[in-house]
Amino acid sequence: MFDVHEMEVNFGPQHPSTHGVLRVILKIDGERIVDAKPIIGYLHRGTEKLFENMSYPMCIPHTDRMDYVASATNNLGFVETVEKLMGITKQIPKRAQLMRVMLSELQRLSSHLLWLATHAIDIGAMTPFFYCFREREQILDLFEEYCGARLTLNCMRIGGMPEDLPPGWLDDVEAFVDKFDAAIDEYESLLTNNRIWKKRTVGIGVISPEEAIDWGITGPPLRGSGVEWDLRRAQPYECYPELQFEIPIGKNGDTYDRYLVRMEEMRQSNWILKQCIPLVKATPAGDIKAKISRVVRPPEGEVYHSIESPKGELGYYIIADGKTQNAYRCHVRPPSFVNLQALPAMAKGHLVSDLVALIGTIDIVLGEVDR
Amino acid sequence: MHVEYQKPRWSDKFLLLDMLEGLKTTLRELFKPKVTIRYPEERMEPANRFRGMFKFSFDRCIACKLCALACPIDIIYIDVHDEQREIDGKMKKLKVLDRYDIDVKRCMFCALCEEACPTKPKSIWLTTKTYELASYDRKDLYFNMQQLEYWEGRPEYAGLPADEPEPKQIEGGMP
Amino acid sequence: MPEPLMRYLIWPLVKFLVAFLIVQVIVAAMNYIERRLLGLMQARLGPNRVGNEVFEKITPRSLHRFIPGGLLQIIADPIKFILKEDIVPSSSEKVAYFLGPMLPLIPAFLVFCLIPYGPPPTFVVTHVNVGLLLILALTSTGVYGIILGGWASNNKYSLMGGLRSAAQMVSYEVPFGLSIVGVLMLCGSFDLVRIINYQADHIWNLFPQLIAAFIFLVAMNAENNRTPFDLPEAESELVAGYHTEYSAMKFAFFMLAEYSSMIVNCCLMVSLFFGGWTLAINGYGLTTGVLRGWGLAGGILGAVIFISKVMLFMLMYIWFRATFPRFRFDQLMDLGWKWMIPLALANIAVTAVVVLLGLQFNFQGEVVLSIAGAAIIAFTLFLLLRPRAKVIHARRVSEA
Repeated sequence: MFDVHEMEVNFGPQHPSTHGVLRVILKIDGERIVDAKPIIGYLHRGTEKLFENMSYPMCIPHTDRMDYVASATNNLGFVETVEKLMGITKQIPKRAQLMRVMLSELQRLSSHLLWLATHAIDIGAMTPFFYCFREREQILDLFEEYCGARLTLNCMRIGGMPEDLPPGWLDDVEAFVDKFDAAIDEYESLLTNNRIWKKRTVGIGVISPEEAIDWGITGPPLRGSGVEWDLRRAQPYECYPELQFEIPIGKNGDTYDRYLVRMEEMRQSNWILKQCIPLVKATPAGDIKAKISRVVRPPEGEVYHSIESPKGELGYYIIADGKTQNAYRCHVRPPSFVNLQALPAMAKGHLVSDLVALIGTIDIVLGEVDR
Repeated sequence: MHVEYQKPRWSDKFLLLDMLEGLKTTLRELFKPKVTIRYPEERMEPANRFRGMFKFSFDRCIACKLCALACPIDIIYIDVHDEQREIDGKMKKLKVLDRYDIDVKRCMFCALCEEACPTKPKSIWLTTKTYELASYDRKDLYFNMQQLEYWEGRPEYAGLPADEPEPKQIEGGMP
Repeated sequence: MPEPLMRYLIWPLVKFLVAFLIVQVIVAAMNYIERRLLGLMQARLGPNRVGNEVFEKITPRSLHRFIPGGLLQIIADPIKFILKEDIVPSSSEKVAYFLGPMLPLIPAFLVFCLIPYGPPPTFVVTHVNVGLLLILALTSTGVYGIILGGWASNNKYSLMGGLRSAAQMVSYEVPFGLSIVGVLMLCGSFDLVRIINYQADHIWNLFPQLIAAFIFLVAMNAENNRTPFDLPEAESELVAGYHTEYSAMKFAFFMLAEYSSMIVNCCLMVSLFFGGWTLAINGYGLTTGVLRGWGLAGGILGAVIFISKVMLFMLMYIWFRATFPRFRFDQLMDLGWKWMIPLALANIAVTAVVVLLGLQFNFQGEVVLSIAGAAIIAFTLFLLLRPRAKVIHARRVSEA
C-alpha cells in the first residue's frame, strides 16, 4: 500500500524551459525527482570533424555556431589557440588585443543578460526577460556596427582583427556602458531581494567547492561555490593583466549565489569596458593585424589553450601536421557540456520546479553541448 | 571578493517592502517610452557594415576564384574559360567568367568572400543593407551572376555604399 | 402577468442576463487589456494592430491618436477560438475530458446572480441574506473541472497541473474564508448589501481589517491560479498545466471560467473591503441613501463606481503578473497553512478582543483598528517612497 510509485516523465527535448533541445528523463515520486538523466545530441552538427576539413580561417565562422549566444569568445578561443600554435601570440598589436577584450566583455554582458532573462522567466518572473533583451539589443547593435552581424559575429582573425573600429563606435560603447549599471540595478530591484525569488533559489542545487572541482565545473558555477578561479586571472591572455577587475565568488554554492556572482560579473565586465575605452583611444588607428602571411600553416605540433568564456573554461585542442592548412584534429572543451554533467547530482531530491531553476543556473547552450 | 547582499531589515521584511519595490519598478516602466518598433511600417536602418544580401560586379571581377576558395561551405560556383583577345594591338590571354553562382540558402553570411576579394573596390560585397531574404521556394535562393548583379524581383536598397572607405578616421590619440 | 412571477423570475432573469453580458464583455476586454498592459510594463507595445484600419475609417481623423491600437483584438481572439480545430487526444477519457471545461463555467456564472452591483433593489439580482456564504460555496466547486480536465487528458504534465491546482485551491479556501470572519464580526451580517452600507456609514473595511484584506488578496490570487501562484499552469515547468491538451473552445471555456472567477473575487474584494458601490466615509459622501435619492441615475453611478473599483483590482492582477516570480509547490502549501491560516486566526482574535474591549470600556474598537491599519499603510508608503541611496541593492563586499 505504501510502495513508492515512480513516474517517468520526458522533460524535453521540446519543452519551453530546456533552453533548446536538452532532454531530461525524470523519474519522479510525486513531484520529487528521484533520478534525472540528461540526454544530449539533438543539435550535433559535427563541428569538430568539420574543422579537420577546412583551413583555419574558414573554421572561425563555424566556431560562432557552437555557443551561439557568445560567439565573440568562441572566436577568441579559436584564434588564440592557432596563434599559440604558430607562436605569434606576442605579435598581436595592442589595439587588436584591446578590441578583442572589449568584444569579449560585451559578449559576456550579452550572454549573461540572456541567461538572466531565461533564468528569470523559468522561475516565473516574466518582466526581467524583456528588460534584459532591451539592453542586449543595444549590445547587438554595437556588434552590428563593428562587424556587420548581430549574433554569429565572425569578428576575429588569426593574427588580429578583420577591420578597424568604425568611427564613433567607442562613443556608442561609452554611452551604453554609462547607462548599464543603472539597468542592472533595475533587474535587481525585481529579483535580488524579492522573497519569492530567494525562496526559489536559496539552497537549491548546492555544489560544494570539492564537488565542483571533481565534476570539472568552471565559470560562474564554480565561482558560486567559492573557488576563486577565473582564467582571465589564472592564465592571463590578451591584455587582461593590465586591466583591473575583481573576481566575485559566492559562499554557499547554491542557485542564489550563482545568480549573485553573475550579476556582479556583469558589473565587473562593465568596469573593464570603461577602462578599455581610453586605452583603445591611445593606440594608433589601423594597427590591428600582426604581420603574418595570408596562408595560415602552423608548424607541426599540438596545443591546448583555453579562455574564460561567459559560461566557463572554453578550451581548444589542436593538432597540426605542419603540411596542410587544415588541423589534423581539433577538439573543443565546451564549458556547457562539462557543467551539464552536474545536473543529475544537483537535481536529485529536489522538485520538478527546481529542475528548471537548475537548468537555468548552469547556463547551458545546447549548440555548445552537442557541437 | 565575496558577493553578499544586505539582509533586509525586520521592518522591510514585515511590510513586504521587497515585493513593493518590484511593483514600483514595473509601474515606473509603464510610463517610460517603449523600445519596440512596429516592424513592417517602421524599419531599423542597418549599420554601414551590416552583412546582408550579396551584390556582384561583373566588370570589376577578375575571375581569380579567391572568394570561392575562402568560402567555408563552398557555395560559390565559378566557371572560367580563357580567351585570346586583342587589347592595344596585342593578343592577350584573358580569363572570362562564365558562371558565378551563389547558393544563398546555405550561406551563413560570414563575409569571408568579401574579405578575400583582391579587387578595389570589391567585386563581391555584402554591405547592401538588405535583410528580408526569406522566400517560399528553395529555388529562389540560388542566384546566378545576373541576379546577383541586378537583383531581379528583390527590394533594392536605395543608397548602396560603393565600398567602405579605408579606415582613415582616427579615434582620438595618435594623429 | 402575476406579480410574484414577475418579481421572482422575470426580473431577476433579465437583470442576471444584463449583468452576465456586462461581465462577459469585461472578460473579453480583459484578454486585450492584460496583454496590452503587460506589454506596456515590459518595455514593449503589446497587441496594437487588429482593427486599426476599421477605426481609422469610421472615426474622424482628430480622434485617431486617442484610440488605442488593436482594439478589435477583443473580437479577434474569440473568433480564433471558435474557428480553431478542436483536438481531442485519442487516449483521453472522453466523458471527463468534455466535462472538464464545462464544470467550472456553471458556478462561475451562477455567482453573478449573487453580487450586488449597485444600490438595491434595482441593481441587485437576488438579494440573499447569506449571499456571502453562497458565493463561497459556489466558487469552491470550480476546482472539479480543473482536476477532471487534468486527469482526463492522459498527459503527465496535465495530471501534475490538475493535482497541484486541487491541493492549492482546497488549501487556500481556508484562509480565504477565515479572512472574511473579521469583516463579518464588524458588520454583523452575511448580507453583502448590509456589509457595503456598513462601510459607507463607517469606514472602508480595508483599514480596520488590513491584515484580512491582505490575506484575502493573497488567497484570491491563489484561488484563481494567478501569478505568483500560477503553478497549475506554470508554463516553464508543466508546459501549460491542466489545459495542455485542450484547444479551441474547450480551452476558451477554461479561460472564461478563470477570468469570470477572477471578476467574482474582485467583486468580493471591493464589496468586503472597499465599500462596494459607495464612495463615503462615516456616512458622508455617496452613500446608498444618496444614490437612491437620485433614482436610476444614482443607481447607474453606483454601478459605474463598483465596476471601476473592480477593474482596478483586475489591473492589479496584471501588475502582479508582470512583477513576481512563481512560488514552488511546497512553498505555496507552507505559505497557505503555516502563514496565512495562523495570520487569519490571529486577525480574528485581535478583532474580537478589541471589539469586545470596546464594548466593555465604552470606546469604539473599530476606530482603534482603523487607526492602526492606516498607520501601517502610511508607514509602508513612507518607507517605499522616501528618497534614498539604493538601499535595496547595496552590496557588502568583503575580501575573500
